[in-house]
Amino acid sequence: MRRLSKSLFAAGLMLFVGTLASAQDRAQIVAVNYPLRFLAEQLAGDAADVTFPVPQDVDPSFWRPSISDISAVQAADLILLNGAGFATWVDRVSLPRSKLVNTSAAIEDQFIVTESITHSHGDGDTHSHEGLASYVWLDPGLGIAQAQAIAAALTARGLAPEDEVTARLATLTTELESLDAAAQSALRDLLGATLIATHPRYHYFARRYGMSVLSMEWEAGAMPDDGQLAELEALAAQSDATVLIWEAQPPDAALDATRALGLRNVVFPPLAHAVEGQTFLQGFTQALSDLADVAGQ
Amino acid sequence: MGGLLAALPVGAMAHQMVVFASVDCEAVTVEAKFSNGNAVQQADVRVLDGDNGLQTTLPIDTDGTVMVPLDSVDHSGGLVIEVDTGSHDNYWIVTPEDIAKSCQS
Repeated sequence: MRRLSKSLFAAGLMLFVGTLASAQDRAQIVAVNYPLRFLAEQLAGDAADVTFPVPQDVDPSFWRPSISDISAVQAADLILLNGAGFATWVDRVSLPRSKLVNTSAAIEDQFIVTESITHSHGDGDTHSHEGLASYVWLDPGLGIAQAQAIAAALTARGLAPEDEVTARLATLTTELESLDAAAQSALRDLLGATLIATHPRYHYFARRYGMSVLSMEWEAGAMPDDGQLAELEALAAQSDATVLIWEAQPPDAALDATRALGLRNVVFPPLAHAVEGQTFLQGFTQALSDLADVAGQ
Repeated sequence: MGGLLAALPVGAMAHQMVVFASVDCEAVTVEAKFSNGNAVQQADVRVLDGDNGLQTTLPIDTDGTVMVPLDSVDHSGGLVIEVDTGSHDNYWIVTPEDIAKSCQS
């Protein structure tokens, strides 16, 4: 009996040590937004731990990391960048070039240039800068290109078995193509329509599905003030837009105020963060459904 | 359109000043310039430690650089370098690993 107990203990110990070693052996990957985390998790499977270090209540475009956050990022095996100017913090730290992957490098010719920002430096002349729209993943076709870049990086660095990554990429591509097809179908009533968004997040989404979008700069989920409502009213009048996209759920009073302007409201999370309880594909599908419902009203 | 531009957040404009810092084991050299290439000529350079405690504040030189000797600050937990012109601000993070690596090479 004692011999059996010893054997069982030894077997359990070996299993525990094996699991611990396996966890330590997994590649460590850092992503600058949730869509990249999702894609990397799908592609790497059990071969990697993928983290997205930005707190849920912080806009990952403008996150200011701590020193310890950056120490952890520097120690990762792979750092997945979105490109297109997303995540300004990556230009404010030293990151090892050999570990960096710009997942949108192959689609730079499809980037959308946004409106200029006019200002001056001290006594200098007033001038402007152009920016890039950065929420590329809201076009599933561009999301596929990002997935391909991640798959190539995983296999080139030997961080996951090539045959498994190839198979997972094929599955993921099929899922994103299905999402794209579902969007084409669900949004056919909005083809050629102009929408208004509370934040400039939807450039690639609108282009992909044949819509125009006018963007404001409202705080996510906040009650707009009188000036912002007046701005919205003017935009709606000049564009004949009837749908207003919110990036986060606003107070009921905000919905009432915009409804009074003749607008139909829909919350469409841009998915830079995960929606609680939903994967990227589930969150995107839900948002599509909600937008289609509003368009059909 | 004017209303739209006026509503842009401060952060969207602040990124147009670029800050870079390099370490050589003895000092952190800070450089700040505007995105048009012009050196920042007037700014406060704040040096914070790993707990976000202010270590020192230095004026930037007219060529847009300033040197922070490592023995003048507690850099054991890394450093955050903030450059503030009054209308623009930006930062650079130096980790303990950056400093250690600079002393190995």
